[in-house]
Amino acid sequence: MEPIRTDFSGYEGKFVAIDARTGKIVLADENPRVVLEKARGRNHVVVRGRVPLPEEPVHVGLG
Amino acid sequence: MSDLANRPQEALLYPYREDPQHSRLGKPVFRPFVQVSLANGGTSTTMLDGLIDTGADSILVSDLLAEQLDIDLTAHEGETRHAVGGRTMNVRYKTVALRLHPHDGEIHERREWMAQVGFVENWHSYSLVLLGSVGFLDQFTVTASRFAQAIAVEDRDAFDRRFGIVLAG
Repeated sequence: MEPIRTDFSGYEGKFVAIDARTGKIVLADENPRVVLEKARGRNHVVVRGRVPLPEEPVHVGLG
Repeated sequence: MSDLANRPQEALLYPYREDPQHSRLGKPVFRPFVQVSLANGGTSTTMLDGLIDTGADSILVSDLLAEQLDIDLTAHEGETRHAVGGRTMNVRYKTVALRLHPHDGEIHERREWMAQVGFVENWHSYSLVLLGSVGFLDQFTVTASRFAQAIAVEDRDAFDRRFGIVLAG
């Protein structure tokens, strides 16, 4: 099975939702409540979380 | 209740997903995410990427989701502090409905169960849901293979059918 790839560049510091089938970012906002509300009830749209800034360390878990 | 509830034996397959964290030594980071949502009464969240974590004892989620579900966390079932990512965070537990959705399915396709969930205060991270042992890994048999780059979620008796009942000692 091929992993789902996502291009997160340009979304650093924002919360994002992706299309679960393609990995494409379909919603992004600095306010997570906006992303959660806009994604609510939409098929195939999955809220991921926040895209870290480049200087943030790599976490082993969710952090 | 759902399309999937009538097919409990069928495994749900999920491809590993790229993580928004920057590459590890020049390579992308892939993690075992599955699609879940939470429900409370007639209110539910959208679908969320939940990270499977065999090292976590419980299900932990951002307290943002309590807002989405109209849950009053002052009426919690228990409160504790957990260390997550090197920080100590306040966690309040409530029992809600969890829904597991297929990777490429629609939001109405789901398996649903009740579980006690820890709502973590001010935790808005790379994902909003951590799926640990109690509430998730006690509900399903989960096989994660980084080699196959996929996760299989089966009914919880699948492990015993495959390996027999494991006795202590």
